[in-house]
Amino acid sequence: MAGEVLLDAQGLAHAFPLTRTMSVKALDGLSFQIRRGEVYGLVGESGCGKSTAARCVMNLLRPQAGRVLYRGIDTCDPKAFRANRRMLQRNRQLIFQDSAASLDPRMRVGDIIAEPLRLQRVTPPRGTCRDEAAFQMKYVGLDPGYLDKYPGELSGGQRQRVAIARALAMEPELLVADEPIASLDVSIQAQIVNLFKHLQAEHGFSFLFIAHDLAMVEFLCSRVGVMYRGRLVEEAPARELFARPLHPYTRALVSAIPIPDPRRERARKPVEFRGGELPPGGLWTEASPGHFVLEERGDAP
Amino acid sequence: MPELLEVKNLSVSFFTPAGEVQAVRNVSFSLKAGEVLALVGESGCGKSALCRSIMKLLPGTARIKSGSILANGADITHYGERDMKKLRGRLFAMVLQDPMTALNPTMTVGAQIAEAVRVHRPRISRAALRDRTAELMELVGIDRPRERMERYPHQFSGGMRQRAVLAAALAGDPAILFADEPTTALDVTVQAQILDLFRDLQRRLGTAAVFVTHDLGVVARVADRVAVMYAGKIVETGTVEEVFYDPRHPYTWGLLRALPALAGGRDSLYAIPGMPPTLVNPPKGDAFACRNEYALAIDYEEEPPMFPVTDTHSAATWLLDPRAPKIAPPAGGGAVGR
Amino acid sequence: MKLGSWAVRTGKKLLALLFSLLALATAVFYISRLAPGDPLVAYYGQRAERLTPDQRAQAEERLGLNDPIWVQYARWWENALQGDFGISYKYKMDAAEVIASRAGNTLVLGGAGFALIFVLAPLLGALCAWREGGPLDRVLCRLGAAVSCIPEFWLSLVAILVFSAALGWLPSSGAYSVGGGGLGDRIAHLILPLGVVVAGHLWYYAYMVRSRVLEEARADYVLLAKAKGLGRGRVLLRHCLRCALPSYLSLMAVSVPHILGGTYVVEMVFSYPGLGTLAYESARYQDYNLLMLLCILSGGVVMCSGMAAQWISGRLDPRVRARDGEGAEP
Repeated sequence: MAGEVLLDAQGLAHAFPLTRTMSVKALDGLSFQIRRGEVYGLVGESGCGKSTAARCVMNLLRPQAGRVLYRGIDTCDPKAFRANRRMLQRNRQLIFQDSAASLDPRMRVGDIIAEPLRLQRVTPPRGTCRDEAAFQMKYVGLDPGYLDKYPGELSGGQRQRVAIARALAMEPELLVADEPIASLDVSIQAQIVNLFKHLQAEHGFSFLFIAHDLAMVEFLCSRVGVMYRGRLVEEAPARELFARPLHPYTRALVSAIPIPDPRRERARKPVEFRGGELPPGGLWTEASPGHFVLEERGDAP
Repeated sequence: MPELLEVKNLSVSFFTPAGEVQAVRNVSFSLKAGEVLALVGESGCGKSALCRSIMKLLPGTARIKSGSILANGADITHYGERDMKKLRGRLFAMVLQDPMTALNPTMTVGAQIAEAVRVHRPRISRAALRDRTAELMELVGIDRPRERMERYPHQFSGGMRQRAVLAAALAGDPAILFADEPTTALDVTVQAQILDLFRDLQRRLGTAAVFVTHDLGVVARVADRVAVMYAGKIVETGTVEEVFYDPRHPYTWGLLRALPALAGGRDSLYAIPGMPPTLVNPPKGDAFACRNEYALAIDYEEEPPMFPVTDTHSAATWLLDPRAPKIAPPAGGGAVGR
Repeated sequence: MKLGSWAVRTGKKLLALLFSLLALATAVFYISRLAPGDPLVAYYGQRAERLTPDQRAQAEERLGLNDPIWVQYARWWENALQGDFGISYKYKMDAAEVIASRAGNTLVLGGAGFALIFVLAPLLGALCAWREGGPLDRVLCRLGAAVSCIPEFWLSLVAILVFSAALGWLPSSGAYSVGGGGLGDRIAHLILPLGVVVAGHLWYYAYMVRSRVLEEARADYVLLAKAKGLGRGRVLLRHCLRCALPSYLSLMAVSVPHILGGTYVVEMVFSYPGLGTLAYESARYQDYNLLMLLCILSGGVVMCSGMAAQWISGRLDPRVRARDGEGAEP
């Protein structure tokens, strides 16, 4: 479990204004760490702030409070960010959910993959930009024959591979994947998840994997954080979390995962979780090694 | 029990500039009163097109090419818009995937449910209409209905919106409910609630349902029978137990093996190689052959017919032909893990 | 507190409006003085050419035309703030009075035109949407596109040629017959210009309604409404048109100046004694004071209708409206 901390998010808070007087707290003191070579999963209901967290981590959004340390550099500090801009932009890459929307429909696949290289004025390690694009495509399991196709001519799974290849072209250390498989079909999901698993195991990439498909998260992630209303309510190694959820919300979440087995699925009783605001405060306690849970005061573990 | 809905050899095509897309190819199935049939398959396999062609809600570019649809014994294949209007809401109702777009944003939720009630009872009084609307909202588990009637869809959460859509669908006491991925856009916890509501309603009201989904976990929870679709065809059909515990079609095996819950601690998931074929020019023979590791030579030549396994279970694969080699199914027998 | 913030916002908007008007007035004042021409022609008519240089200087002195432009500008504001907008050189009357005497005619023509377009456009648009792709829709679409492409002055000329000159059914110019006339006479004079104003603008708005309605018709809730058993016509009216209405209303608010501009052109061709002819004359004869006031009035109408459009779209869409106060429910 030991490993250098690559990314350290500390007390991130952000509220989006809804009207002049009201605002919605997307992040409310969120802290987590990603170690080198691990896949960190972030799960929670829609609107719990998962995507906002991803955008803060990528410096696409400046959190109103808290900071994000990457390799010890405070990326929310404009000065430090400018000083390490090339490194920060190369080392962290983002993959979106909807690759149909995140790829420019008027650019050829090869150009899409090579664009970050050109923007960052990186000499492609494998000859020309085109060679590099072809290499990355082979790497993510796409036929280089698609180099001159447009994203519209590809299927959802192929487009998602293009998005991954574009991210990998910069040879990043950290990949932030915001619901990367949600819009894909079951059999294609498996292909992409296998690819992620391969990248992590064989090449030591670190991931922030944001998803709502809990079964996939359990399969892919080494550690998982459960978010509720902008806060982390529980964090544990994936196996541990799904086997022994402690927080009432996590329990409801885990019990709600459908099991593809009729007899067991029908026997399953989902645990109810009465939503609403979490009480302010709460104690971040370690229930067992590596397994943290946010305890409401006076609540027995 | 009599068949409520019987679809025989139905083929539906979309005529697009790119050519004829054969969305539904020679599909036959039936549905008994009070039964839940799950249609499973990947996107673009024709699940939704099949449902919409039965309700005749397809766009103008689509046409039923052959086959017949019998509802309550009456042949409705060639019904026009006027006749279908009388059936919609009473015989068929529909729930869609995205509750965000399924309600008109400029009308109150109550008004949209009331509208469905009034279609079936045009002479209903104002007070009775309100009562019936409130009753329907209560039925689908929306509490304080009289207060919430006046709310607009954006003031509802996703789960509540889906409940409201369900209430409108149930307004005419439909015999068959087409549910097109009704929980896909919802959070897991909300999905569980909606599925339970769905099952509960279906049991109480005796509504039959066609439940379109790609999530086998959802199928395991709600379905009585399952039909697996691939490239516009039903490739395997049977009771939920038969399909999950004794799957026969290689595609069903692939779907089951691709699930992380069934990975059983392995390092990688099973992934069906390749991609589904386009339906503009479906391949000759078995459409699944080129992704099928158990494909036989005949799969590339001739389409397999439906081979019956039991009275209720059948699959369209040459592996069930008595001359085919025997293969131990790599999937089925229930989930391992958790 | 809520009232306070409302007042602040309205105040800000009013301030912005005033500032825009100030900018407009300045621009019009300077540009009209830069334009070539002789304002004395407006005052003296043909006689202006026969004036001696002395008389000319005297006349310019009297009308305050020989001061530097910025002095004239300051003087104009000084008087304007006291409610005196100067005299019209051509009519030798208060500019405000001249405008008041003509505004009624323009209001009748423009107002009636606007009202007709406002009512007819959604009906026509919905009709086309309902019969989408059918022969009626196709004919209307082509006809509408053709008519709205014809410039208004030409359309006016054709209308005069056909209905006045050839058929002799309707009068060709003016707002009423010489020597007055009853209501019937006024209406007869109104029909042709009104017809041209409506014909020139109607299709633009009807087509917008048509495409908005059809856009809505592809939404999921329309499919569901049909699945509930509603007929296509009712779905289009109750759901699609309703959803298209907020954007239609705000478009119509913005359209006020558009239609007003069309009215000005039509007035000219029909010699209809309204603000349009007045504006043309005042620009042509360098009737500065009249021009200023007309521009500021028209500009005010344009800005107010823009604000109204904003307000309408904010009020009509429940998604926007409900943001104040009630939040979403779990």
